[in-house]
Amino acid sequence: MAARLNPLTSLTAAAAVLVITTAASSWAVSLTVAVGAVLLSAAAGIVRRVVLAAAAVVVPFWLSLLVIHGLFFPEGRTVLTSWGPARVTAEGLTYALEMGLRTAAFVLVLMVFSFSVRIPELVAALAARRVPPQVGYVLASTLLLAPLVAARLEKVRQAQESRGLVVGRGIGSRVAAIRLQMVPLVLGLVHDAGIRAQSLDARGFRSTGPRTSYTEVRDSAGQAAFRVFAILLAVAAVVWRIAESLPAGSLSAFPQFVGGA
Amino acid sequence: MIADRTAATTLLASVASFSYHGDPGPALRGVEVAASPGTLTAVVGGSGSGKSTLGRILGAWLLGGRDGTLAGSLQLEVAGHPEGSSPLRFAGAPDDPRIDPGAWARHVGYVPQDAASMLSAVRGTVEEELAFSLENRGVLRADMMLTVADIARRTGLDGLLRRDPATLSGGELRRLAVGCAVVDGPGVLILDEPLESLDQAGIRTVVELVHAELARGTAIVVLSQHADALTRAAERWLVLKDGQETAAGQPVRILEGGALAESGVVITSPEQHPDPTPAPPPVLTLPVAGAAVGATAARTQAALELSGVAFGFGGRTRNAPTDESLLLEDVDLQVMPGEIVAITGPNGAGKSTLLRLLNGLHRPLRGDVRVADESIAGVPTGQVARRLGLLFQHPHDQLFERTVLREVLFGLDRIFGTAAPERAKAALAAVGLGDSGNAHPHELPASGQRLLALATVLTREPSVLALDEPTVALDARGLERLTAAVSAAAGRGAAVVMVTHDLRFATTHAHRLLRLEGGRLRRL
Repeated sequence: MAARLNPLTSLTAAAAVLVITTAASSWAVSLTVAVGAVLLSAAAGIVRRVVLAAAAVVVPFWLSLLVIHGLFFPEGRTVLTSWGPARVTAEGLTYALEMGLRTAAFVLVLMVFSFSVRIPELVAALAARRVPPQVGYVLASTLLLAPLVAARLEKVRQAQESRGLVVGRGIGSRVAAIRLQMVPLVLGLVHDAGIRAQSLDARGFRSTGPRTSYTEVRDSAGQAAFRVFAILLAVAAVVWRIAESLPAGSLSAFPQFVGGA
Repeated sequence: MIADRTAATTLLASVASFSYHGDPGPALRGVEVAASPGTLTAVVGGSGSGKSTLGRILGAWLLGGRDGTLAGSLQLEVAGHPEGSSPLRFAGAPDDPRIDPGAWARHVGYVPQDAASMLSAVRGTVEEELAFSLENRGVLRADMMLTVADIARRTGLDGLLRRDPATLSGGELRRLAVGCAVVDGPGVLILDEPLESLDQAGIRTVVELVHAELARGTAIVVLSQHADALTRAAERWLVLKDGQETAAGQPVRILEGGALAESGVVITSPEQHPDPTPAPPPVLTLPVAGAAVGATAARTQAALELSGVAFGFGGRTRNAPTDESLLLEDVDLQVMPGEIVAITGPNGAGKSTLLRLLNGLHRPLRGDVRVADESIAGVPTGQVARRLGLLFQHPHDQLFERTVLREVLFGLDRIFGTAAPERAKAALAAVGLGDSGNAHPHELPASGQRLLALATVLTREPSVLALDEPTVALDARGLERLTAAVSAAAGRGAAVVMVTHDLRFATTHAHRLLRLEGGRLRRL
């Protein structure tokens, strides 16, 4: 499904959804977007990876939200319970819930995008839009960094286990293993990057002339129209949001100000 | 476009000296290479002789100024481009000429010893990887399609175009790296150990490719530590030792003379595809091993036993694994203490996977693996490692420490306690790295890296040694050390399983030779 979409279309759609979710600032919209992202990933057959990756980011964030806003929310008035300086307020919990849902929606949408897009196609689509290839490469290598780091880490772990490192199930054992793996991981990545730079140089990556793309990126008038529509919708949402936040103060003050003059 | 692809090109290099930044002495001194259209030149020498440094200077992967201090000259004569033929002279000064590696690569293609480092790492398929430099040059898509198809046919990559480069086997990867270098149609091609870790079919495609390129008028320079069928076909040899030329001329003359004996070059038979059946008698006799296999086999427990082992990647999804998705279908193997077993087979047959099953890095879908008469099912790899030492196919994957000594010391105190440092030093001395304890593993030449990886395995004194392509990258001296180490291990009763494409080494040193093909092991 995603393969037939131009990567710019899915990128625009993801960005528009994020802007609109932020502008709406409502838990109902965030929840809808989050559920929508999960359903979409299920349709694309990547739901397991998306949810696992999103959970790794979102769950620690949720916990910190609960601690910070759930227990200490200065604006909170409806006190549900309190222990010394910590007060659990209804307002604090509501705020934590809203922020938590919005973050979840954000992360899920980004995960669906990055797991479904074919990165060479994205780079090719950007190059066709005259985005400098170095920017495309940085973008591609950033999106590919996670699997690259994971692969390198796996190799270091295998090498260490093959020489007698036993990683137990306990937290202490895992932390000790991570400590052992970090230096080799970073040194290995830096070494690889140095070699890669020589190879990229030799393969003409620094050339300044025009470039072409081997990967053919599908596009259609319908997709182009959708992209314009999505951008307009996002802009409209931002404008609406600004207008919405103004009336309380400035818009009601405006006639008086005019009248006063 | 296509007609322009192999313009007759001559590369003349004269390296008065080249020193890496921070090194006390030069890596190369007084080396001259002339590569003329349609000729094959071989630069032969042992490990650390400066071959790879020379290759990388010729291919502009190493630049004077950026990577080291270069004194000498480089000259490219491209037919039809007389203006660019004046020599570039380097004096190691700041105002030396600067080479644009991208422009240079259109005339001089270089394929590194580690084929994986050729790849861009941002392309998802073999065909996209092949097209990478064409894209950077702005070649029209229609022309690119033709060129990629042509190169794929010439390098035997036809069936692999849609594969992810990260999933290719060692031999397939080398063919892709050669493809990436010739896709620009350079008139000069520099190949660093092009036949390393290839199976017979892979060797055949690369050798055919070299001869086809020669016929097109390409000037080829092969860097190798083997006097094998490919290098013997060269018009001219240049023998390097310690960064200096010790002999030059026709291969036949040099083979007759004594220059190779000191160089560390591995001399193999001139046969292109040695037939394994008329095996030479074992040069190395293993009295202890022989006794163990012969006299006490009935009573001795197998050191390693595989029964009905099946394995496949992605085979654990939804349904029970189907036989088509299995890489290994039904593998049985018994190795006695002191016995040396060699396993060969085509690239991608699952040989490395089989070795990873032995210490639990992969777990079998069916069947059982027993090390020292205990099933390893459910036993963590770190614990199996007490009994079984695995030498990885790529030393780069095995080495992770900051210094050579720390590398060997890793985890050693848990076995030997306070004796660990002595053990580590002894293991390094045994592989000839006694003086390199403080070096960074990546600074060692390829041969040194493999010997270091071997030392990390041997020093633990495992009862089973699993060696993945142990001979790759080793020169004659390295091979001697490997042989000594393997026989010493077998002599003290360790079982040895090695995966190798080097049939000569296998038939000479192994008690049994097995072939892995179609997911099963059979006797050769």
